[in-house]
Amino acid sequence: MDDWPVTSVLVIEDDDRIRLSLILALEDEGYSARGAATAEEGLTVHRTNPADAVVVDLMLPGLDGFECIRQLRRSSEVPIVVVSARDDTHDIVAALEAGADDYVVKPIAIKELSARLRAVQRRTRSTTPELATVTVGDLEIKPEAGEVRLRGELVPVTHTEFRLLCEFADQPGRVFSRQQLLQRVWDYEFGDERLVDVHVGRLRQKIEDDPSSPQRLLTVRGMGYKLQR
Amino acid sequence: MRRPGLRTRVTAVFAGGALVLTAAMALLSYEITSRTLLAERERTANRTTYSDAKFIVAPALQANQEPGEVLAQLKTGDTRRALIWRNGRWHAREPDTGLTAAVPDSLLRMALDNKPGIQRVRTEIGPALVFAIPLSPGVVFVEVHSLQELERTLGVMALVLGVVAGGTTCLGAGLGWYATRRALRPLASVADAAQGIAAGDLAARLDPAAEPELQRLTDSFNDMVDQLARRIERDRRFAADVSHELRSPLQTLSAAASVLARRADRLDQRTGTAARLVAEEVARFQQLVTDLLELARTDQPPDLTEVDVAELARQLCRARGFDDEIVKVSPGAPQVWQVDSRRFEQMLANLLDNAERHGGGPICVRIARRNGSHVLEVDDEGPGVLPEDRQTIFNPFVRGRPARARGDSDGTGLGLALVAQHVAAHGGRVTATDRPGGGARFRVEIPEVRVEVPEEVAS
Repeated sequence: MDDWPVTSVLVIEDDDRIRLSLILALEDEGYSARGAATAEEGLTVHRTNPADAVVVDLMLPGLDGFECIRQLRRSSEVPIVVVSARDDTHDIVAALEAGADDYVVKPIAIKELSARLRAVQRRTRSTTPELATVTVGDLEIKPEAGEVRLRGELVPVTHTEFRLLCEFADQPGRVFSRQQLLQRVWDYEFGDERLVDVHVGRLRQKIEDDPSSPQRLLTVRGMGYKLQR
Repeated sequence: MRRPGLRTRVTAVFAGGALVLTAAMALLSYEITSRTLLAERERTANRTTYSDAKFIVAPALQANQEPGEVLAQLKTGDTRRALIWRNGRWHAREPDTGLTAAVPDSLLRMALDNKPGIQRVRTEIGPALVFAIPLSPGVVFVEVHSLQELERTLGVMALVLGVVAGGTTCLGAGLGWYATRRALRPLASVADAAQGIAAGDLAARLDPAAEPELQRLTDSFNDMVDQLARRIERDRRFAADVSHELRSPLQTLSAAASVLARRADRLDQRTGTAARLVAEEVARFQQLVTDLLELARTDQPPDLTEVDVAELARQLCRARGFDDEIVKVSPGAPQVWQVDSRRFEQMLANLLDNAERHGGGPICVRIARRNGSHVLEVDDEGPGVLPEDRQTIFNPFVRGRPARARGDSDGTGLGLALVAQHVAAHGGRVTATDRPGGGARFRVEIPEVRVEVPEEVAS
């Protein structure tokens, strides 16, 4: 499993004990882990010495977790996994919309958190090399370069968004169910469909002219999503 | 017998009142009018009779004319007949038509005693007034005035009054119905608000300005809802606080315990055993807290999406190391259901875990359809569930007897309670029965949600 170089994880968590225990446990799992007690500190640490993945709590003093995610996203495509005690739909969707890649609820077993981190890591490293450039109308997806271009202009997407788009681009016109996408993109055996919905929404913000009436990434009622050929 | 509704009763009272009132009025009017008309008719008839007697019959008889001739001179028309009694017998203009029989003997005797009289009688041709006027000893002039026309008039009047009374009664009933509807309208808005609150809309309030008479009801209703909303909010916040306060230290415990457990082999035997115990127990406690918090979260309505339950069942079986061939879809049964995917997954996973823990593993997961309901059955070949445990097994912290006997500490005791809660959230029910051939069968029935099949948004 751990056949990649050591990856660094930044744990932004205000509770000292949780932060310390997560760092210890993540180091056991083979990560190089660092901690930050506030969003501000975390942002500074990440700016000076970027981590390969960020684990963030939502309830933080000062800047909250949502704002922390937004600020991280402004300058970075780093994979972000939220680890929060809050489990209502509203918080989950808000965190994902802010730019998080995945969301787990405390208490999470370290094996599971590690699996989530590995899954987001896989997305950043592995593209689908055998997939050639796909052009759908004026949308261009270049898997080998990790680029998405709309009318020739580069569209900034996160790794998760890119992997999601690649799944669609692999077979344009094919309808993917949410569960299929969860398995292919997030490595979930069975997962939370809100992950897919929010990420599709985020992609639409970037590649649709009018995200409220999408022309490229379409919803197929009762079935899932597809990329319009 | 069920008591009739308020509205029916008020309507009946209104109708009854209107009926009594109009009936009394009608009777009174009828009585007064009929008396007046009769008196009028009597006066007229009296005048006519006397003038006939005085100016025609008496002079003619004195002139020794025959009574028949005398009577022929009278222009009696249709409404009156004249008779003369003389020499102990009746004289009429026409052959006797039974008219003479209508003249009461008492009246005739009175007239023969030189006393004129009037009497109302009923003749063959209807009611009549009989006037008897003595003209000379032994001679009496009698006129019979028909009251048929008057009676007909009165009949018409009675009919009109009856119809009016009936109409007024209906009007009264209508008024009662309308009035109660108006009066009950504020109550209907109370009912609507209460229904809204029951459905979870805690913002529903009554407008205190709408119905001044119902001020007290409105105020206390709104107070009640305020209190309810406050209490629910307090409970919700408490649950959220408990959730947070439990989850946070558990996260530390869980992570720290895993660090310990990883090194258990390198520790001395006692410490290592203790470390493993801590890690195992923390893991179980973690599951317990998660399940408890899930169980406490009763207020959320299911978030329905289409889920391929057969595929889900196969995935869950594979994840647990069972053969996914045990998932069977009955012919004709839909395998895509409208359910809350997260809760349904947990429900099915708990049933499979239960079968594994107490029944030696599931041997069949059947997806079927019965009487408009989705049916999901999980069978095992274990010892089954005793009939007396089949209800209580779905209560929190009730563990199957064999498990308890073994001192098995695996489950949280909340798995089946969560199953029951999730199934109930879908409006369905779960039952434990015997599997034919031995073992337990857990059957989940969820009413089918009919969704119009939408056209593909795009194609």
